[in-house]
Amino acid sequence: MAKYQKFKDIPDENLLEGGSFSCAGCGGELGLKLALKVLGEDTIVVNASGCMTLLSNWPTSPLKVPFIHSAIENAASTATGIRHALKALNREMNILCYAGDGATYDIGFQSLSGAASRGDDMVYVCYNNSCFGNTGNQWSTATPKFARTTTSPPGSESHGNALSRKDMAKIMGAHGCYSATASTALPLDFMRKVEKARKYKGLGFVDLLVNCPTNWGFEPKEGIDIVMKAVFTGIWPLYEVENGMMTINYDPGPGKFQPVKNFLKGQQRFRHLTKKDIAEIQKDVDKEWELYRGGKYWQTDEY
Amino acid sequence: MEHLASGNETAAIAAKMSRASCMPVFPITPQTEIIETLARWKANGELNAEFFTMDSEHSVMSAAVGCSATGARTFTATSSQGLTLMNEILFIASGMRLPIVMANVSRGLSAPITLWSDHTDFLNQKGDGWVQVHAQDNQEVFDSLVMAFKISEDRKVLLPSMVNLDGYVLSYTKEPIDVPTQKEIDKFLPPYKPKHAFFKPNKPLIQGAAVLKPEAYTYFRGQHHLANLNALEVIQEVCKDFKKKFGRDYGNGLIEEYKTNDADVIIVTQGSISTTAKAAVNEMRKGGRRKTKVGLLRLRTITPWPHKEVAKALQGAKHIAVFEKNVSPGRGGLMMSDLKASLYDHTKKKPIITEFVMGLGGSPESIQMFKHGVKLAKKDRKGEVHWLG
Repeated sequence: MAKYQKFKDIPDENLLEGGSFSCAGCGGELGLKLALKVLGEDTIVVNASGCMTLLSNWPTSPLKVPFIHSAIENAASTATGIRHALKALNREMNILCYAGDGATYDIGFQSLSGAASRGDDMVYVCYNNSCFGNTGNQWSTATPKFARTTTSPPGSESHGNALSRKDMAKIMGAHGCYSATASTALPLDFMRKVEKARKYKGLGFVDLLVNCPTNWGFEPKEGIDIVMKAVFTGIWPLYEVENGMMTINYDPGPGKFQPVKNFLKGQQRFRHLTKKDIAEIQKDVDKEWELYRGGKYWQTDEY
Repeated sequence: MEHLASGNETAAIAAKMSRASCMPVFPITPQTEIIETLARWKANGELNAEFFTMDSEHSVMSAAVGCSATGARTFTATSSQGLTLMNEILFIASGMRLPIVMANVSRGLSAPITLWSDHTDFLNQKGDGWVQVHAQDNQEVFDSLVMAFKISEDRKVLLPSMVNLDGYVLSYTKEPIDVPTQKEIDKFLPPYKPKHAFFKPNKPLIQGAAVLKPEAYTYFRGQHHLANLNALEVIQEVCKDFKKKFGRDYGNGLIEEYKTNDADVIIVTQGSISTTAKAAVNEMRKGGRRKTKVGLLRLRTITPWPHKEVAKALQGAKHIAVFEKNVSPGRGGLMMSDLKASLYDHTKKKPIITEFVMGLGGSPESIQMFKHGVKLAKKDRKGEVHWLG
């Protein structure tokens, strides 16, 4: 049976200590803490420039594992180098790339695609707060439709971000590697996926939706509730792709999801949405699930 | 043992014999033959190293950072556009104090795109904090690469090194080179045992940490600067050691002086054009009554810049003719500012310097061109700039 079935299966030991520089209620930090509970101390964390880079502000660091930060767009390439060097030196360690959505979906995509195509052995977790967060909430291709960012602000000529988000887990699944989506609201599901990614010989990819009070605009204590609703409204589908086969991890059945407005309300970034905007998002989500349930995950002409 | 090898093959032989254990690569003309040679050896079981092709030069240098940060001796090669694509990570490699060694086969920069050699690509990297050496022939390519590992890995330096060789002129030209035995190389260059860059379980080492305190950032940049200045001494030590073991003499390793002692006119060059310029010096020194006392200063170490040595070599000259195979539009040749700074700081006399921008994008250089240049330099009273070719 797979590991991490119950909360008591989560190891007590933290390899990421408290007292770091991240915002109160940071889902990115929570994700790293959980991933390290799975991977253990024999792990090298390879970070792309972003919020998690500032965990270590010289001369302090809350991390109890080796960590390297190079630039924003090259976490996967750096990890490839480390994997080969470990081989050359006859050593074996886990490698965890921990990169934001901007560093994964956008500027670091070439580097990630290269590593996935070459089958370089690493776990790649994208901590996805759906914007360039560390620079203060700018649009990335992970930004959901109509969301306000500082570079896609709503105005008389704009409803916020005009584009649908990129389906990164599908793109990574199409590389033939292990690919999954997860949410910080469901730590056991996430940890099982990190464990699968670790066991996968090659690049195992997990797109982790993380609560971001600073850029989404909500009280830190509401964070887990919001990323939970992302799953319960179907706007953030939980699934895995293995050998090109997609498996849905959570589906209450047709018509059983909560309406998307339950996720959208209570977040500053969606406050400008009209009823028409919300209806359009609902339509997109319904259509996506229709394809999933009809076994047409790989069908792309609908987008 | 004597080999007949192109500059590219020479670089590959040096990388193999230096026992670099990691080689991330990406093709680009005129460097590709280096990685093809290594790939062939890997395929035949003759190369004991991790050899892997990345998705770009940016990823190559990123992987090289990963390799070296893990503690492996790392080699790669690039050229021109590839070098500029690496630019961001070159600063990271040197700032993280990783002793990566790279061969750069010089080629002009786009636009307009060209395949031929000039020196703009690597001189554009003057600020990246790497140690940079420029070879004049294939033998020097081999020797410089082997020495580069030793210089880079020295505790007083711990910086990456770039060894530059001219595209086409050296990269594709076969020359006889003397290759020592593997045993001799191993004795000169022992295995790399890093004390500052490694990954081990239970050793929470942070590499590339954010340094947000301005005074701390200044401290690290200062350390980087000092390490690069230390290389001025370490290069000399390593060259001396090299001469003792292999007999080939690169002097102080920083500059090469050719018949400068009594010279009225000194030609300044770097790279493979120096050999043509030396032939011109010899011809001009013959010429009976019309002979000119000409000498040559070859700039071998580009970074760190050897101010004192350059000034000392030039101080006796009446005229200086600088031949620059590069240009920075709006500034001129990229060596001039350094050269003039050296003279300003370390000599009282201010000789007239005539600048020649030449050899761009592979424009041919000839003995006649250097002779013509010297003639113009002798008449120059105000520091003219001429474009040749």
